[in-house]
Amino acid sequence: MSEQKPILEVKNLRVSYHTYAGEVKSVRGVTFSLNKGEALAIVGESGCGKSVTAKSIMGLIKAPQGEIKKDSEILYNGTNILNYDKKQWKNYKGGECAIIFQDALASLNPTMRVGKQIMENLMGHKNMTKKEAQKEAVEMLRLVGIPEPEKRVRQYPHEFSGGMRQRVMIAIAFACDPKILICDEPTTALDVTIQGQILDIIKGLQRKNGTSVIMITHDLGVVANIAQRIAVMYSGVIVESGTCEDIFYRPRHPYTWALIQSVPRLDLENKQELATIPGTPPDLLNPPAGCPFCTRCSYCMPICKEEMPEATDFGNGHAASCWLHHPMAPKVEMPVLKGGE
Amino acid sequence: MGKFLIRRLAEMILTLFLIATATFFLLEAVPGDPLSERADKLSPTVKENLYKKYGLDKPMMERYALTMKGICVGDFGESFVYAGQTVGGLIHDRLPVSARLGLQQVTLGVVVGLLLGILAAVKRGTIADYLVIALSVLLISVPHLIFGLLLQKVFAGNLQWFPTIGWPAGKDLWFGGWEYTVLPTLTGCFTYIATYARLLKTSMLDVINQDYVLTAESKGLSRARIIRKHILRNSFIPVITQLPMSIAMCITGSFFIESIFSIPGIGQYYVTAVNNQDLSIIMGETVILAAMYIIVLFITDLLYVAIDPRISMTGKSR
Repeated sequence: MSEQKPILEVKNLRVSYHTYAGEVKSVRGVTFSLNKGEALAIVGESGCGKSVTAKSIMGLIKAPQGEIKKDSEILYNGTNILNYDKKQWKNYKGGECAIIFQDALASLNPTMRVGKQIMENLMGHKNMTKKEAQKEAVEMLRLVGIPEPEKRVRQYPHEFSGGMRQRVMIAIAFACDPKILICDEPTTALDVTIQGQILDIIKGLQRKNGTSVIMITHDLGVVANIAQRIAVMYSGVIVESGTCEDIFYRPRHPYTWALIQSVPRLDLENKQELATIPGTPPDLLNPPAGCPFCTRCSYCMPICKEEMPEATDFGNGHAASCWLHHPMAPKVEMPVLKGGE
Repeated sequence: MGKFLIRRLAEMILTLFLIATATFFLLEAVPGDPLSERADKLSPTVKENLYKKYGLDKPMMERYALTMKGICVGDFGESFVYAGQTVGGLIHDRLPVSARLGLQQVTLGVVVGLLLGILAAVKRGTIADYLVIALSVLLISVPHLIFGLLLQKVFAGNLQWFPTIGWPAGKDLWFGGWEYTVLPTLTGCFTYIATYARLLKTSMLDVINQDYVLTAESKGLSRARIIRKHILRNSFIPVITQLPMSIAMCITGSFFIESIFSIPGIGQYYVTAVNNQDLSIIMGETVILAAMYIIVLFITDLLYVAIDPRISMTGKSR
C-alpha cells in the first residue's frame, strides 16, 4: 500500500469514566491511524478499552459520566471531530461514520419497523422523500442478503433471527455510504456459520464502497479473516500494532505472544490443555505506573514495574511497547508451542 | 383466542361471586343490623313487621341465597335506610357525578404527570429533575384531605375564585357548573401527577440506557427525534398498563374528596351506606364497582397484547 493521507487519525486519545468508586481511566493515550479503504482490527480482552475507543470515534461518549481528555485528538480528514459543532456532528454521525454493535437485538428499536429504522438514516442524511427512502430501504435489505425484502421492511426486529438482525444493522450502517465503518464485536453474539456470512457481507460492502473499517474484536479468527492491520490493546493502551502478517508471524510483545498462544488450534495434540493467560488485567481505577502487563508477564524485569515502555519501531508500521526491545534488555524469542508444527 | 376468552370470562364470574360472598358474610359479622336503631323505640308488633318487610327475620343462609339470586338478575333490593332508594337509581343519579370528576382528575393528572416525567428524565440530574421528584414525593405522601382544605382556604376563602363546596343542581351533568369542579379536580389530580411523573421518568431512564438509543444517536438524528421516536414510544408501555386501572379507580369516586367538597357522588354515598349498615346498597355498590374493576383489568390484558407485538409472538414481556 502506498503512502497516503490517512482518513482517520487518533492521537493520544484518553477517556475516563467518572463513577462512584472514582475515575476509571478506560483509554489511556491511544494513537493510531486508519487509511482509506483499509481494515484495521483492534483486539484485546474484555475491559481493555476497545469499545470505549470505538464510541469516542463515533461521538457517543456522554458527559458527565464519560470524559474525553482535553489534549486528545481524533482527526477525520484532518479536522478534529472533538471540536465539531452540533451540525457537523449530525452530518458526521451516520453520514461519514457508522457503527455496528455486538447485540443486534438490543441495538434495534423493538417498537419500530426495521424499514423505518433504515429510512430514518436515509432521510436524515440524503434528503430523500419518504417514498424514495422506502425504496432504498428495500434495496439495502436486498443488498445485505435478506430474502423477501419487500415483506421484511414492514416487520419488527423480534420477527428476525439473530443473523438477520445483524444484517439489518449492517444495512442501517451502510445506508448512507459512510467513509468509516466501526464494527464493535459484530459477530460475538452469533454462531460460527453466521459469523462467516456476516463478515463476508461486511467485507463485500467494504470492497464495493471503498469504506475504511475498524473491526473491534477479541476473536483473532475474525481478525485474520478481515483485517490488513492490527492494533493490540491492553488495559487502555495499544501495546503492539502492525500488519496482519507482522502480528501473527513476527509478534514482539509478550501479551501478543500470549494472546496468539491462547487461540484454540486443531494441529496440536488432542489432550493438550488450551493455553491461558494467568491473572487479571490491572484495575483501571488505579492504573500502574509501569507496563500494565507486568504482573502477568513471564519476562517481567524490575524496570517494567516502574516505567511505561516507549514504543519500539520495527519498520513497516510495526511497533511494540515493551522493555524487552530496549538495547540493554536480554534477548528473548517468542516461545514455540509444545507439540505444534 | 376463543378458549382464552371463555376461561377469562369464567374467572371473572368466579371472582365476582367470591367478592359478593365475602361481602355478605363480613356484613353479617358486624354486630347489630340496619334497623336496630330505629326499631328500638317501636312496639314489638311493629318491629316484627318491619323486620319481616325487609326480610331480616329469615335465617342467614336463606338470606344469603336470596341475595345471590338477586345479584344474578341484577336486583339488589331497596335501601334499608332511605325508603324507595334502589341501587339502580343510585348508579343512575350518582355515578355520572363521580365519573365526571374522576375523568377530569385523571386527564389533568396524567397529562401534567407525563410532562413532568419527561422533563425529569430529559433533564436528569439537574434542578428540574430534583424539583419534579420532590414535588411527586410531596404530592403522593400528603393526603387529599390536607390539599382539599388548603385549596378551599386559598381559592375559595381568600381569593373567592371558586365555590367552597357543593355541586350544581339540575345543570348539564357532564359540562355544566364547571366552577364547582375546579377545586375537587385539582385535589384529586395530585396523586395521578405524582404517580405518572415517577412512572414515566423511571421507564424513560431505563430506555435511555438501551443500546438502540445509542444506535439512534449514531445515526446523527436530532435529540428531539430520538426522544420522540425511540425513547418515548418504548417508555410508554408501563404507562399504558397503568392507565386503565387509574380510569377504573377514578370513575368509582373518592370518598374523601366527595366528602370534603360535599359532592353527591357515589363514593361518598358508599361510606354513608357503610355507616348506616345499609346492607343492600353496600352489596350493590360493591358488586358493581368490583365488576367494573374486573372488566377494566380484562381490557388492559387485551390492550397489552394489542400494543406490544412481542408479547403475543414470544409469550414473554421484555
